[in-house]
Amino acid sequence: MILTKEALELDLPLTATRLKRFIKDYVQKTKAKGAVLNLSSGIDSSTAVALTTLALGKDKVLALSLPEAETRNPTDIKHTKILAEKFGFRLETIDMTKVLETYYRSILEFDPEDKLSKGNIKARARMICLYYYANHQNRIVVGSSDKSETMMGYFTKWGDIAADISPLMDLYKTQVRQLAAHIGVPAEIVKKPPTPQLWPGQLAEDELGIKYETLDLVLLGFENFLTPEEIAEQVNLPAELVVGIKTRWLSKEHKRRAPLTLKTEYRTIGTDFRLPYSAP
Amino acid sequence: MENKKERKKVSDVTIALGQVSSKVGDKDHNIEVIRKITKQAKGKKADLIAFPELSVTGYVVRDRAYELAEPVPDGPSVRKIEEIAKKENVHMIFGMIEKSAKASAVLHNDAVLVGPKGYIGKYQKMYLPTHSVFEEKRYFRPGYQTPVFDTQIGKIGIAVCYDIYFPEVTRMLTLKGAKLIVYISASPSVRKGFFETLTAARAIENTVFVAFVNLAGIQDGLQFWGGSRIIAPSGNPISRARYDEDDLITARINYSDLTRVQAWVPTLRDLRPEIFSSLKEAAENL
Repeated sequence: MILTKEALELDLPLTATRLKRFIKDYVQKTKAKGAVLNLSSGIDSSTAVALTTLALGKDKVLALSLPEAETRNPTDIKHTKILAEKFGFRLETIDMTKVLETYYRSILEFDPEDKLSKGNIKARARMICLYYYANHQNRIVVGSSDKSETMMGYFTKWGDIAADISPLMDLYKTQVRQLAAHIGVPAEIVKKPPTPQLWPGQLAEDELGIKYETLDLVLLGFENFLTPEEIAEQVNLPAELVVGIKTRWLSKEHKRRAPLTLKTEYRTIGTDFRLPYSAP
Repeated sequence: MENKKERKKVSDVTIALGQVSSKVGDKDHNIEVIRKITKQAKGKKADLIAFPELSVTGYVVRDRAYELAEPVPDGPSVRKIEEIAKKENVHMIFGMIEKSAKASAVLHNDAVLVGPKGYIGKYQKMYLPTHSVFEEKRYFRPGYQTPVFDTQIGKIGIAVCYDIYFPEVTRMLTLKGAKLIVYISASPSVRKGFFETLTAARAIENTVFVAFVNLAGIQDGLQFWGGSRIIAPSGNPISRARYDEDDLITARINYSDLTRVQAWVPTLRDLRPEIFSSLKEAAENL
């Protein structure tokens, strides 16, 4: 395995075709009327909304823009509008500020200085809105999580990760960028620095401590059973940094799984109760 | 087995491959699809139609394998498909889960052959993939037999999916006289390149006709890539189905081509049985 950016190149027409078919197939099997997605205007959510629209048609896709006072910015609002005009899906904007302030006031031990716990409320409140529309309008929630952030556990448990399907979850961030450009997501969105929008000025690459171009090669190495030493040598990184990424990847498995239970009976949910996936 | 006295020598056979998307756990639906596609194939003068691995049950059935399994040939699914074969006067190969008559939790991943006069025989998958997304050894017992079926439409060998990675299965079927090897498969998209190569390789190295029928559609996040094909003994595809989606293809083959190809690529003439024992020894000491 040679860890170069060429190793992350996709057959883009094939990938786009298969992902569109996956989305359409799921909607048909669930007999849903369409899809609802959160549109932050970042690379992942923009690609997910665009791809879902190409898969289902613009009349079946509802994108929710869910800004709030602390992280709202005019560039993102402009980008959501550009994307909606280009792809034609329905865009609704819900200002989350009052909902969030109610949470902050209602939680007895709320600590405004704990920005991670506070930020996670934002991600989970967005999830509640998405699932309201999904339930009320018989839509599926299409998630936009990518493989890089899911492997790193860089998401909010039961928040932005929550979805019925996540068509981009087997694509690394740099692969999502390739796909985004291929399906016509505007370049200004593709090039924008990723942020989970949990607090003002938050940038994913700053928090992860590495550029996605490099991180994706490291993760691709782990996916292919390379050792940290082999990866460090190939990608020209300090071995401690690669070991740190591995530790983080492994330590976040609790965020990717159904809740753990203790096996006490014959067949146990999450371990040896192995059933085929069935759509609702 | 069919009555040898009634069998006349055949050289010209039309093969159909029913590339379908099975519905997980819904045998009635899947058999109805098999019925419709068989009727269409018969309209194209098919003598034999093959359907993918576990086409009766769906592939990703996991723990439901136990409830979906049936005795072969005495279970209802074989009986229903026998009736289709009789009505359409055609040979059919399909995939299902066999429940042992002797132990109810012993299952096999079967390819079943029926003909215009009913049940002919079964092949139990020998190599059960248990890696990556596959968990077949968790549920199935491997088969130990490589039967060749001497039918009205020629001598047919059958193998299932991952068996194709083990050239000795096809070699055994060829040495037992099979002229046509039918692989029924449930291969997900990331394995496409392997099968495209291996189907041609098995045809070339054994100088036999190969028919490969793969599942289409999506089950449990796995896109089955379709791409079913009928391949001449030279390795050249005679007919190919589209990728990923349902399709029905047919091709007419003539067994007289085998002499021409076997004279040109004489792999069977050049076999060296004396190395087989050292191959066995090396495998035992891997």
